Amino acid sequence: MARRSILTDDSEAEINLSSMIDCIFILLIFFIVTTVFVDEKGLQVAKPDTAAVSMSEDEENVTLDITAENKVMLGAEEIALPDVSGRVKASLLDPETPVVIRAHEKSSHGTFVSVWDAARRGGAQALSFSTSS
Amino acid sequence: MRQSILNEPEEATEINLSPMIDCIFILLIFFIVTTVFVEEPGLEIVKPNATIDQDLERNSIIIAVSADNKVVYGGKELGVAGVGARLRQLLNRDDLPVIIQADARADHGVFSAVWSEVKSAGAKKISLATLND
Repeated sequence: MARRSILTDDSEAEINLSSMIDCIFILLIFFIVTTVFVDEKGLQVAKPDTAAVSMSEDEENVTLDITAENKVMLGAEEIALPDVSGRVKASLLDPETPVVIRAHEKSSHGTFVSVWDAARRGGAQALSFSTSS
Repeated sequence: MRQSILNEPEEATEINLSPMIDCIFILLIFFIVTTVFVEEPGLEIVKPNATIDQDLERNSIIIAVSADNKVVYGGKELGVAGVGARLRQLLNRDDLPVIIQADARADHGVFSAVWSEVKSAGAKKISLATLND
């Protein structure tokens, strides 16, 4: 027993680690199996609060209507989906102008999200939605 | 030199396991930290497109609205009326953000009703799930 490094000390090396490693492996496998990487993207949407509803009669308010046939109307005029963001930008006095998307309850959710997206791209900061029947 | 039968000759016991244990510990800690237990709806949902979406929180309550307007949480169909009660129970335990995963073909009216139920159940942050491509 002449040449031994400092790191290996024979009398101390006898701790049996294999059962602990077994436990840790089982824990590791459990966590690997149960981990799901939920990678969700989305938007935060809001309905107008009651204060906003009462002042929604103001003429500076922009209202986009979605009909039951998924047509987008600005006032009485029908506009195509790609034009929504441009039209919203044109009708906004300032970014704080409230924009309300009033969707018919039979219109599709996909159209609603597209219009919301377009209005936000058009610079609307105060967006909200309501549902008509 | 009195050796029992179980003790191998000295040279064979010298495998150093500690670096491997270190690695496994690091993996284990990684998986423990990243694991979130999210109840996924277990439905095929075609999410609507949006370009301005943001990343949502991993640990959330996910409510799904299918294309045929069924409202599902954790693989069980709740119906619009059942969402409020279930959500209140869940939010009492843990105040989590809520994600509404509505299919692009679902009716806007159902989404809106679910949104109102979630809001009145006291959720602080409500988002809708979208897809960006």
